Amino acid sequence: MPYVKAQKSKAYFKRYQVKFKRRREGKTDYRARNRLINQDKNKYNTPKYRLVARFTNKDIVAQIIHASISGDIVLAAAYAHELPRYGLEVGLTNYAAAYCVGLLLARRTLKQLEMDAEYEGNVEATGEDFTVEPAETRRPFRALLDVGLIRTTTGNRVFGVLKGALDGGIDIPHSDKRFAGFNKDSKQLDPEVHRKYIYGGHVAAYMRNLMEDEPEKYQSHFSEYIKRSIEPDTIEGMYKKVHAAIRASPEAKKSEKAPTKEHKRYNLKKLSYEERKAKLIDRLKALNSAAGVDNDSDEDD
Amino acid sequence: MPAGHGLRSRTRDLFSRPFRKKGYIPLSTYLRTYKIGDYVDVKVNGAVHKGMPHKFYHGRTGRVWNITKRAIGVEVNKQVGNRIIRKRIHVRVEHVQPSRCTEEFKLRKIKNDQLKAEAKAKGEVISTKRQPEGPKPGFMVEGAMLETVTPIPYDVVNDLKGGY
Repeated sequence: MPYVKAQKSKAYFKRYQVKFKRRREGKTDYRARNRLINQDKNKYNTPKYRLVARFTNKDIVAQIIHASISGDIVLAAAYAHELPRYGLEVGLTNYAAAYCVGLLLARRTLKQLEMDAEYEGNVEATGEDFTVEPAETRRPFRALLDVGLIRTTTGNRVFGVLKGALDGGIDIPHSDKRFAGFNKDSKQLDPEVHRKYIYGGHVAAYMRNLMEDEPEKYQSHFSEYIKRSIEPDTIEGMYKKVHAAIRASPEAKKSEKAPTKEHKRYNLKKLSYEERKAKLIDRLKALNSAAGVDNDSDEDD
Repeated sequence: MPAGHGLRSRTRDLFSRPFRKKGYIPLSTYLRTYKIGDYVDVKVNGAVHKGMPHKFYHGRTGRVWNITKRAIGVEVNKQVGNRIIRKRIHVRVEHVQPSRCTEEFKLRKIKNDQLKAEAKAKGEVISTKRQPEGPKPGFMVEGAMLETVTPIPYDVVNDLKGGY
């Protein structure tokens, strides 16, 4: 075998400093997290809530979280896979679904804190920039948007979640620069375009486009829509119904799960300190009795 | 060139981060809350340049007298000449740790209150004062062998090892 020079010597490993675990996993941006969590010391134990929006390939996760030394605490959470309960079964990761999840999360937290009657938010989604007005009795619930590691481009779905939460009645400092429909040249948000995205207008336009030009691709791509007989024109109505259903009953429903089965253990179970010591004593006793020497007093040290 | 006496002079090792603990500082330092009257240790974190105390205060313990947005005011004793002055410094939270100097006292307070409440319920009088360690009790020496040691006469031959 040809001589291969070892690249990573023992010295390399001895001096290597690992990054934080979540940084190694590539899940947390600590620079951003530091700035989101840091609370003014003269505000003592007041929690600083952040609205966490994360997207997976098939689901959207939106949570309101505040940090603590023993671990972050989630106040309320909303998932895209809950939307079938409100009448939305397809397209669970698009902009319109993100809006629904944000709205659901906002109504859920406000209901939990018993502020939902005061802060209705924007009932009719118009796509314009809406900020919550402080009511007479209580100040609005304030959270900060935590995007995670995504690139914040104009029209990104996290801002769909943001818009949904805003219209739900949560106070989140923001600007309209990154909403879908913001025109870079005129530096203005076009509320019509944003409203189109909130009601899935962009999806409907693509559906119409495919129906005309490539019917086979339309059949394969939107097969679930066709199965539920959702036409491009009915999409907006569907989303309006979903918004109304969300506002009507936003509480979380506990899912009934069957108790988990006991699985066969394929690897050895780690023993506790007492168990290991006991094992050692047994081994020594066996050795000594086999050798024929009685040395029991030594093992009990 | 003469030796400088700048603010951070002679702090090459004092302010350096420990081995394999460089880079990002854990976020629990930012999550701790401090109240006025708490005891805190001042320990400089070289990774954060703002709000650093002078090297004299590294390792000192003081009480909190003020809390601002990102920093804490600590009152530390400093000996100047023939007197001790109570100095008030402001330090960012990264350079401060909660002190454990009063921990034992606080725990003892709680335990004593508990003991006193129990004794009051039972109607007996107890003293919760700490007693200093007394002299050790007497004991018998077991299994001692008496060995008489006498000096041996000087032997010239043995001491000159091979040298003659």
